[in-house]
Amino acid sequence: MASSFATQPIKDSVAKVNDEVAVGEDLDFQRKWWKFEKGVWIVFTLILALDLLGVFGRGWAAKAQRKAADGSIDVKYERIERTSTPSILTVNFDKSAIRDGEVSLYVGDSLVKQLGAQRVIPSPQTTAIGNGGLTYSFPATQVPASVEFALEPTGPGLRHFVIQVPGSAPVEGDIFVVP
Amino acid sequence: MYTIVHAVLGYFFLLLTVRVLSRRPGAQLTLFEFVIVFLIGGVIILSTVGNDRSVTNCATAIIAVGLMHRFVAWVKSRWPKLGEIIDGTPLVLLKNGEYQMEVMRGMKIDPEDIMAAGRTKGVNSIFGIKYAILERNGAISIIKAEE
Repeated sequence: MASSFATQPIKDSVAKVNDEVAVGEDLDFQRKWWKFEKGVWIVFTLILALDLLGVFGRGWAAKAQRKAADGSIDVKYERIERTSTPSILTVNFDKSAIRDGEVSLYVGDSLVKQLGAQRVIPSPQTTAIGNGGLTYSFPATQVPASVEFALEPTGPGLRHFVIQVPGSAPVEGDIFVVP
Repeated sequence: MYTIVHAVLGYFFLLLTVRVLSRRPGAQLTLFEFVIVFLIGGVIILSTVGNDRSVTNCATAIIAVGLMHRFVAWVKSRWPKLGEIIDGTPLVLLKNGEYQMEVMRGMKIDPEDIMAAGRTKGVNSIFGIKYAILERNGAISIIKAEE
């Protein structure tokens, strides 16, 4: 049995140029598109300029520094991070933070989980869990003394962190992780 | 799941970027434009698959991109106006011995590009071309002037 196909008579529907060549040109649309193109390139240029400034992380605008109210620690970090991209958060200790030849440092869970702390430099002597975070202790002599956290955020979003020497004022901050 | 989201976002971002690059990266590909196509493609792969280089992840990304392509093709056939936005419309570059300068400037096409298309049709002079039309795929169609 022969199969039947759907058919439709052809129509001269394509717009002609000079009434002789069927092209289907739409110059009005094209002029609007060129305007749109210009807008897109302006946005693209703006994105690159903002990126050079560090608005999307890894630049001048992303760098931040916070000091505890009592001056016990000073934290240098990037307020804008990128997902799965390594960065360093540095904690500088004041001499008041060194007690009996060691410093203790409490960090909230978000630093380890959401901000993806991969390692602590130097390695802590002890690590204790509790109070919604980890408390590290490091042997220390005198200032300058610092500890670095190698971060690698696991996903985008706004992350809050808390770092403090137990018994001293905390440093709190927010880090925005871009995709 | 992130791979699928990244693949879909990457597809549309790439579509927009290539579309606003004007139509030259189509059939009129020169070595200069090859660089753009390969570089953009390579960069988008990094963000799509991320650190997960498993076969499962790569297969998911390929399927997602394939489905997006099919979806966009369906949208184009269903709504021709959207087809105009995605592919553009044919544009007349040369008409009856006159370059259409607004179109040529807008599409970054040089007279040399038109002549190159003419030579493929056996035309040996610009005066032998009556119409030159930039097609949606980036090719330039030539209609010869009558002898």
